[in-house]
Amino acid sequence: MAAKEKILIAVDETETSFRALRYVARLVCGMEEVEVCLLHIYPEPPPDFYMQGGILDDYRKEQDDKAGRVFSDGRELLVKAGVADGVITTDNRYAEGRTISEELIKVRKEGEYTTVVVGKRGVSRAEEFLFGSISNTLAQHSGNFTTWIVGSDD
Amino acid sequence: MIDWSLYPEELVPKLKRHRVVKKLRRSPRIFTDTSDFTSIEYGDIIHVDDRYFIIIGHTREGRFGIDDQIKPWVPKVYDLFNDERYIIKLVFHETYELTIGGLKVTCYRSPEKEARVLELVGDHPHFMHGYSVLDEAENLVRILDIVDGRRLDTYISRLSDSHEDYVSLHLPEVLERFLTSVTGIGLLHENGLKHGDIRRDHIFVDRSDNRFRWIDFDYDFYLPERPFALDLYGLGNVLLYLIGKQNFRAQDVIDHPEMGQKVFETLHTGDLSLVAGDRVFNLKKLFPYIPAPLNDILLHFSAGSSVFYNSVSEFEADLSVAVAGLS
Repeated sequence: MAAKEKILIAVDETETSFRALRYVARLVCGMEEVEVCLLHIYPEPPPDFYMQGGILDDYRKEQDDKAGRVFSDGRELLVKAGVADGVITTDNRYAEGRTISEELIKVRKEGEYTTVVVGKRGVSRAEEFLFGSISNTLAQHSGNFTTWIVGSDD
Repeated sequence: MIDWSLYPEELVPKLKRHRVVKKLRRSPRIFTDTSDFTSIEYGDIIHVDDRYFIIIGHTREGRFGIDDQIKPWVPKVYDLFNDERYIIKLVFHETYELTIGGLKVTCYRSPEKEARVLELVGDHPHFMHGYSVLDEAENLVRILDIVDGRRLDTYISRLSDSHEDYVSLHLPEVLERFLTSVTGIGLLHENGLKHGDIRRDHIFVDRSDNRFRWIDFDYDFYLPERPFALDLYGLGNVLLYLIGKQNFRAQDVIDHPEMGQKVFETLHTGDLSLVAGDRVFNLKKLFPYIPAPLNDILLHFSAGSSVFYNSVSEFEADLSVAVAGLS
């Protein structure tokens, strides 16, 4: 019997991320030996957050709510496409002291996921230098796991 | 007429003989709450940490292309008891969008972050020194030692007349000193802190030993996925300046008597800055005698590069090899 495929999909509210979900749905619908985890990661608040009177618990609650909406929509998309509801899990993480991609790689390792899926935004080299590219970082680190970088449908 | 009974007894003789007070046509005011820094003027006294600092002037904004605007939150002061001069930074929070090559990055002026850097670097020889205290209203006041030195760009501009002489006579030593200051930036990053505003005028060359010392740590920026990218960008720009002895934009190349249209026509978009798209980073096209390992480092910051530095340690490692090759 084949080992269970454990697929980790990085999700947020963007179309890029839902494109990745649709791609996974097409590939795994009907599969039984699979676990699909929707992972939402949010960064630390901006440097002036506390000076502006921000409260970390409020920020985290806001992010939890956002993740909840993304999970709900993502789950609905997968189930409608034929993925069994029972194989879908969710995980919302706060990237404290880490970048989003570092947290993603950490979660991958902790959960022993075999495949990581991210959508590709299509950023310029300058944007990548300043703002980073999770898909590129992931590709550089995917030595012992599989990475699916889902590009545009065009 | 000054009513001296308003001042602590031990302060009066100090005030009476101070040149600033002698010139003042009003009584100096003593501020223990610096919240409204715009109301604290020349001749006034900031009383924090059981020290009395009389204001003898204000620093000015040195950013290129901007008129020298006074920074009222950064007074130059004189400690009335130890007779030393300092710079004090008062709390001024500011947020603005920095536009680089059409990309916007949110920047913050953060006294708290500067205080953390000062505490981390202590008496590290490649940074300005100082410490932070709270005033009576809990404002984070930073008391900074004055770096006795010159701005890096002023210092560099006075070395040799010709670029070729500069490269052969001075650049190896300049880059050795720059390299050790880059190690200092690495120390910040290892501790989760940024410099925040790396520019060639934020390095001072210490008069006593020519050491490069970083100043001004109060800027922060929000790049959660690439937290140190702007510091790296700044280091690339400083290195470019150090190797080129000035920055070269397209018009500078055209106007240069030894380059002109002929050299300009050899340039491509890929030779220009990756982020800003303006300055020429492929300096070897302008100065063929620049050692290839140095030019290769610059190319990491160019639009034509397929790889760029992800960390200061990568940049430092390459620079270290290139500098070793110069000697």
